[in-house]
Amino acid sequence: MIPALAYLVMALAGVAVVWGLVTAVADKPPGRAQLLFAAGVWLVTLTQSIIAAVQLGGGFQPESLPTTVGYLIGIVLLIPLAWFWANVERTRFSGVVLAVAALAVAAMTLRLLALWTPAA
Amino acid sequence: MTATRGSARRTNTGAGRALVAVYGVFALAATARASVQLATRFAEAPLAYLLSAAAGAIYIVATVTLARGSRTSRQVAWVAIVVELVGVLTIGTLSLVDPAAFPRATVWSLYGIGYGFVPLVLPVLGLIWLARTRPAAPARAHATRSA
Repeated sequence: MIPALAYLVMALAGVAVVWGLVTAVADKPPGRAQLLFAAGVWLVTLTQSIIAAVQLGGGFQPESLPTTVGYLIGIVLLIPLAWFWANVERTRFSGVVLAVAALAVAAMTLRLLALWTPAA
Repeated sequence: MTATRGSARRTNTGAGRALVAVYGVFALAATARASVQLATRFAEAPLAYLLSAAAGAIYIVATVTLARGSRTSRQVAWVAIVVELVGVLTIGTLSLVDPAAFPRATVWSLYGIGYGFVPLVLPVLGLIWLARTRPAAPARAHATRSA
């Protein structure tokens, strides 16, 4: 984990949350730019997980390895699943679906940062 | 009785899709958490960790059944979500009364405080949604026990 990258992930995910809620309130399905932005958030999240995996492979030992690995894998599943689920039926609630996933990505990144302390 | 409001609406459409998304996140979170707990520290608090696993299973069932939205899956969803509500109220209360037995180890400890109390609100929303999407009464009476 690189703290600066984690904060970037949380900031981008935060924007995706707000964007999803805004289109929901406006009673519109997510637009093209919004979907592309979500894909971008996913790419940055994926990068974060890959970097963390390399660090783990390089010998870094976090406090709880199983939990950390679970988070690193789980966090990259959320946006693709939400993307699919949001596009099957495109309504205002598609934006809420994307917002839910993005919020989970932000929360999991925060938790990952907390987990990323060397084992005593 | 001919009101069309809410008749034959499926649970996996409209607002239901957002509900399924939240259930999906909790299915993932609770199941992953329980898996790690069972695999690494089962002996520490077997009861809490088994309940954790049960919570994960209930979230998975609720997610899948709400996402399917068929008549049968509606019935399973009712049961799962009622169990979920009873579970969060029971574990939430027990974790207040006997904190030692539930060291913040389940999604339902302290009524889901670790997850912003969403675990407490979610089953209520789920039951409201099932009630709102209930098929029209005549159709339901006709269908009773016919399958």
